[in-house]
Amino acid sequence: MKIIGLADPEVESSLRGAGIGMSVDEARSIAEVLGRDPTLTELFCYDAMWSEHCSYKSSRATLKEFLPSDAPNVVMGPVEDSGIVAIDDQWCVVISHESHNHPSQILPNEGAATGIGGIVRDVNCMGAMVVATADPLRFGDPFGPKASKVRWVAEGVVDGIWQYGNALGVPNMAGDVVFSESFDDNCLVNVVSLGIVRRDQIIRSRAPPLAGEEGYDVILVGKPTDSSGLGGVTFASEALRAEDEETNRGAVQIPDPFLKNVLFKANSDLFRLVRESGIEIGFKDLGGGGFTCASSEMGAAGGFGMEIDLDGMHKAADFPPEVLSIAETQERFLIIAPQELREKILKIYNEDWDLPNVYEGARASVVGKINTGDRFTLRHKGEIVCDVPIRHLTAGIRYQRMEKERIYSEAEPKISEPEDYNQVLLKILSSPNIASREHIYRYYDTEVLGNAVIRPGEADAGLIAPVRGEKFGVALAVDSNPFYGRISPYWGGATAVAEAMRNVAAIGATPVTLTDCLNYGNPEKPEAFWEFREGVKGLAESCKNLWLKDYRDERIPVPIVSGNVSFYNESPQGSVDPSPVIACVGIIKDFDKAITMELKAAGEDLYLIGPRFDELGGSEYYQTIFGVMGANVPQVRFDLERSMIYAVIDAIDEGLLTAVHDISNGGLAATAMEMAITRPARYGMELNLDGVVCGDLDLRTDKLLFSESSGFLLEAKAGKEQRLEELLRSYDLLPAKIGKVTAKRRIKISRFGKTVADLDLDEARNAWTRGLVEAMR
Amino acid sequence: MLINLRVWLKIPDAEAATVKNTLIRRLGYGKVLEDVKKERLISIQVDSGDPDELAKAFARELVNENKESHKVLIDRLEFEEGYVPVKVALHIEDGEAIAIRDRLRKRLGYQNVVDIKKATVWKLYFRLLKPEAQITAREIAEKLLINPHKDSYEIMM
Amino acid sequence: MRIAVIQFPGTNCEFETLVAVNEVGMEGEIFRWNRPEGELSSFDGFIIPGGFSYQDRLRAGAIASKEPVLKALKEEAAKKKPILGICNGFQILVESGLLPGLVPGKGEVEMALAQNVMISKGEIVRRGYYCDWVYLRHDTSPRRCSGSYLIEMGSLLKIPIAHGEGNLVTASPGLIKKLNDQEQVVFRYCDRNGRMINEFPVNVNGSTESIAAICNPEGNVLGMMPHPERAFFAWQLPSFDPRKHRPNEPGPGRRIFESMKRYIEVESC
Repeated sequence: MKIIGLADPEVESSLRGAGIGMSVDEARSIAEVLGRDPTLTELFCYDAMWSEHCSYKSSRATLKEFLPSDAPNVVMGPVEDSGIVAIDDQWCVVISHESHNHPSQILPNEGAATGIGGIVRDVNCMGAMVVATADPLRFGDPFGPKASKVRWVAEGVVDGIWQYGNALGVPNMAGDVVFSESFDDNCLVNVVSLGIVRRDQIIRSRAPPLAGEEGYDVILVGKPTDSSGLGGVTFASEALRAEDEETNRGAVQIPDPFLKNVLFKANSDLFRLVRESGIEIGFKDLGGGGFTCASSEMGAAGGFGMEIDLDGMHKAADFPPEVLSIAETQERFLIIAPQELREKILKIYNEDWDLPNVYEGARASVVGKINTGDRFTLRHKGEIVCDVPIRHLTAGIRYQRMEKERIYSEAEPKISEPEDYNQVLLKILSSPNIASREHIYRYYDTEVLGNAVIRPGEADAGLIAPVRGEKFGVALAVDSNPFYGRISPYWGGATAVAEAMRNVAAIGATPVTLTDCLNYGNPEKPEAFWEFREGVKGLAESCKNLWLKDYRDERIPVPIVSGNVSFYNESPQGSVDPSPVIACVGIIKDFDKAITMELKAAGEDLYLIGPRFDELGGSEYYQTIFGVMGANVPQVRFDLERSMIYAVIDAIDEGLLTAVHDISNGGLAATAMEMAITRPARYGMELNLDGVVCGDLDLRTDKLLFSESSGFLLEAKAGKEQRLEELLRSYDLLPAKIGKVTAKRRIKISRFGKTVADLDLDEARNAWTRGLVEAMR
Repeated sequence: MLINLRVWLKIPDAEAATVKNTLIRRLGYGKVLEDVKKERLISIQVDSGDPDELAKAFARELVNENKESHKVLIDRLEFEEGYVPVKVALHIEDGEAIAIRDRLRKRLGYQNVVDIKKATVWKLYFRLLKPEAQITAREIAEKLLINPHKDSYEIMM
Repeated sequence: MRIAVIQFPGTNCEFETLVAVNEVGMEGEIFRWNRPEGELSSFDGFIIPGGFSYQDRLRAGAIASKEPVLKALKEEAAKKKPILGICNGFQILVESGLLPGLVPGKGEVEMALAQNVMISKGEIVRRGYYCDWVYLRHDTSPRRCSGSYLIEMGSLLKIPIAHGEGNLVTASPGLIKKLNDQEQVVFRYCDRNGRMINEFPVNVNGSTESIAAICNPEGNVLGMMPHPERAFFAWQLPSFDPRKHRPNEPGPGRRIFESMKRYIEVESC
C-alpha cells in the first residue's frame, strides 16, 4: 500500500478502505523502519500486533510501574501465556486470566465459548493439564430499560460457557456475576483457567535454544485456517456502536470444544514424546492476532527470525495472505521442534488422533523454519508478502496517555432507619447481586475430572485436589466490585485484591498468587485512563501490603503472574464502571482441613472479626433499598486485613473453626444469612449486635448490618472458643462474640435488648434461591 | 399463519460432515451418497400481524447472521431439486421449542405467537434416480438419522 | 483382570474412571476407539466412560454407536463379560442396542435418552443440562447385574449427575413393564429417604419412572446416567455429608467398581 509521499487524508482513507485500524502516524513509522511502502499483508500484521489487545500499548508502562510480579514462589511471571507458581518441589499451578468482552456483547454464546476456549489453551500450551476454570461475569441491569438485551446476553454467555467447558471436560470451580446498568451495552466476560504441571515438565512458548542454528520446523496444528474473527483483536480495541453491529458480527470466532478435547489429548502425547526424547520444543496456542502474533512472538522470544510459507498452511479455502496471517481461527497451536521429531509429531496429530476425520481439514502441517536472522518473512504463492524486522513487529509501541481525575460528585445520602428490617433483609436476599447463583452453576459440570473438594455454592472459594496421592488442595476465587470502582477507582482496585484473598483464606487456603483482568473504558480519554491508573495503583498497594504469608517476615508482596487489560469497554452511552477483576489462587497442604460456609452445629458460637465502619458507599443496601450510590466506599486497612487473613488461615489449620464466610457485598447481614440459608439450611442463628465492634461510634443498626467493611463471620468449634480468642488476640484482633447457631429454623437479630429482625429460615432461603431466576427469566 | 424459517450454516457444518462421514465409512453408503447438508427449520405459528415484518423480527432473534443464512416461507414449505429432504422432529414434547415460544412471547412481547415447532432437515444428495433416492433416504433416516423412540421423520418431496 | 476404558473423540471422564478401576485392584487401560477392534477380546471387562463423544452430534451416542469397536463390544457382551456404560457410555449402549438388549443379538434400538425436562407441580421449571448430587435407590437384587453385584436391594447411593440428555423414553408399549418384571431397572432417582417422587428435583431429569440405570436381561451390561467415578472417594462428597471427612471411608461410587471386579471373579470361573 502506498504511504510514502501521500498526504495524511489519503493515507487515512487507504487504511480505512482496506479495513485497517491503525493511525496514519503508526503507518508512516512502519514505512520508515522498512525503508519502503509496506505491503498489505505487512500492514495487517502490524495492525493486529500493535492493537491494544495484542501490544498493551496504553497499559504496559503503567503495569510495569506498579504491579509486583516476582516472588520466591514464582516459576514463571507474566512473560508467556500463563503464569506459573510452585506448590511444592515437584508440582506447580499454572494460571491464566483473560477477557472476551466485546465479542460476547455481539454474539454472547460464541463470544463466551471462545473465551473459555482461549484461556484453557493458554494453560495447556505450558505443558500443563487443565484442571479448572472460573467465570467472573458482569451484565447490565436485568430490570432496567435494556432488560431484554441484558437477559439475552446473560443467557447466551452462560450457555456458551457450559456448552464449551462441559464438552471439553474442564470443571468450573469459581465465578461471580454482577449486574449494573453500566454494563448494559458492554458486558464483561472474563475467564480464568488453572492447570497443574510438574516443574520439570513445563514447556516454554519461545523458540528454544538452537532452533535457529538447526533450522527447527514451525508446525501449525488444529483447525484449518479460515477468515473467522478477522479483525477480532482490532475490533476489541474500538468502542461499540450500534450501526457497526453487522460489521462487528463478522469479527467473532467460532469455537469447537470437541476438536479442542481431541487436541488436548494429542498434545498430551506430544508432551510425552518431548519428555521421552529429552528435547526442548516451543509450544504456543494461537489467539489474538492469529498466526502472525503467535509465531513472531515465539521467534522473537528466542532471539531468532523465521521464514514461513503460507502455502504450507492447511486452510479452509484459498484466502489472501493478509487474511491467513492474522485470522483468528480457533483451536490452533504452534510447535517449534527439531526436524528429527517431525515425523513423530505429524503422526500424533494426523494418524493417532485422526484429526482430519475429527474435523474436516484439521491436521498438523509444517509451515516454515526458524533461522538465526532477525526477520519475520511470509511467502505466499512464491512471493514474499511480508518481510519485517521481527522485534519491531513484536515490540509494539507505547503510548503516553493523558490522565485527568474524574470527579465523583455523589454524597452520602440522608436516609432514615427502616421500619421493617425483615422486609429489607428479604429484599436484599432476592436482589440479583446477592441472590444465590445456583441457577447458573447447575449448568456447569463442576465434578468432571473427579477433583472437586469444595464446589460453587459451598464456600467463598472453590477447592480441588488435582493430583491423586497428594494431599494438597488448590483454591480459586474471583472478585471485583464495580460499584466501589465507580466511586473510587483506587479503592475499587485495592478492595478487589483484599476480597479475593479473603475468599481464599475463608476456606483455610493460603493465597499464593493473583491474576488480574483490568476492564476499563477508552484510554484515549483522559478520565478513563486516570481510572485505569488509579485502579492499578490500588491493586498494587494491596499486593504490596498484604504479604505472602509464607514470606511475611521478608514482607514479600503477593505477585500478579498473569493478566489482561481490556480497554474500550464503552459505548456512546458511557463507559463501564472501573472493573479490575482479580483471581486469587491459594494452596492448602491438606485439603481435608478445608471448611465450607454452611452452619455446622447448634450451640456453636459465632464470632465477628473486622470492625464495622460507616462504609456503605456502593453498597447493596444503598442501591437496592434507596436507589443511591453514596460516597463512603469501603477501604482496605492493610494491617487489619493482613491480620484477619492470616488469623483465619491459622485458625482453620488448627481445627478451631467449623464454618467461615467473609463479609463483602450485603454486609454482615448478607454474610450471616447466607451461612444459614445455603444448602442444606439445617440451622438458624441468633445474633446480638451489642457485641459488634464498630470503627465509627454510634453506628446506627441498619448501617451496622449493611456496612460492607471487610471482615469474617466465624463459627467456632465447640470447646475451642478460648483457644480461638487467644489466637485472634495474638493477631491484635478483637474477637467479638456476636451470636450462636440454633436448632430453630429462624434468623433472629437483636440489639440493645430489642428484636431487630426475626426471619423464617425457609422464607429467607426461598427469596434467596429465586432472586437470580427472576432476573434471568 | 405459519412462518417457516429455513436456516443453514454459512461456515462449515461439522455435524453434517460427521453424519456424511459415518454414512460412508461405517454404514456402506459410499457408492450412492454424494453429499449431506443440514438445515434448521423453525415454524412459528402466529394469529395476527404482518407476516413479512414478523418474519424479519423473528429472524433477527433466532438466526445467527455471523454464521447462518436463512430463507423465509409463509404458509408453505418447499425445497429445491437435487436432494432428498428428510425432516426430523421430536414426537415427544420439545422443551427447546417451548422455550423459544416463551422467549418470543414473554421476553420480547410477541403475544401473537401461538406455537413453535422445531425440526432438522437433512438434505441427502444421491447419485441415484429419484425413486431409489427416496427409498435409500428412508433407510438412512431409520438407520441413523432418527431414534424412533423420540423422533419421527418425513420425506419432504 | 484387565479392563478396557474405551475412549472416543470427545470422551472426557476416562482418567478418573481409570483411577477408580485401578484403585479396586483391577488393571485398567485406556483403549482408544481407533485401535484394531480385535484387541478388545483380550480384556476381561469394559467401561465406556462419560463425556461428549463426537460432541453429541446428531444425538448423544449416535455416532459412536456406529464405530467398529462397538461391533466388537457386542461380541464381548455375548460372552457375558461385564460392560459398564456411564452417562455418555449409557447413551452409546442404548444407541447400539446393547441396552436394554431385550432382543438378543439383533441390536435393535428400543429406547432413547432424550433431553432433560424438569417438571414441578405440573410446570416445566427448567430444561437442559444439569449438574448436582442425587440419591439413587438400588431397585434390584444383588448379583443381578455386574455393576451392582455387591449392592443390596434398597441401598441408597449418593452420586453426582451431569448431563443434558438423560430422560429415558420409549415408544414400545410394554417395554417399561418388561424391564420392571425382569428386574432390569437397576437404579432409580429418589430422595434422601429412598422415596421415589416423580417430580423435580427428586426426579432430576424427568426420566420415565425415575429410571437412572438399567441392565440387559443377562445382567452383564449396565448403563447408568450418574457418575460413580466422581463419588469414588468420600472426600469427593458434598460439604454437608457426614462421611466426607472420615478417614479411609469409601465413597458411594466405589461399590460399582468393586461389583464389576467381584462379578469377574465369580462368573469367569
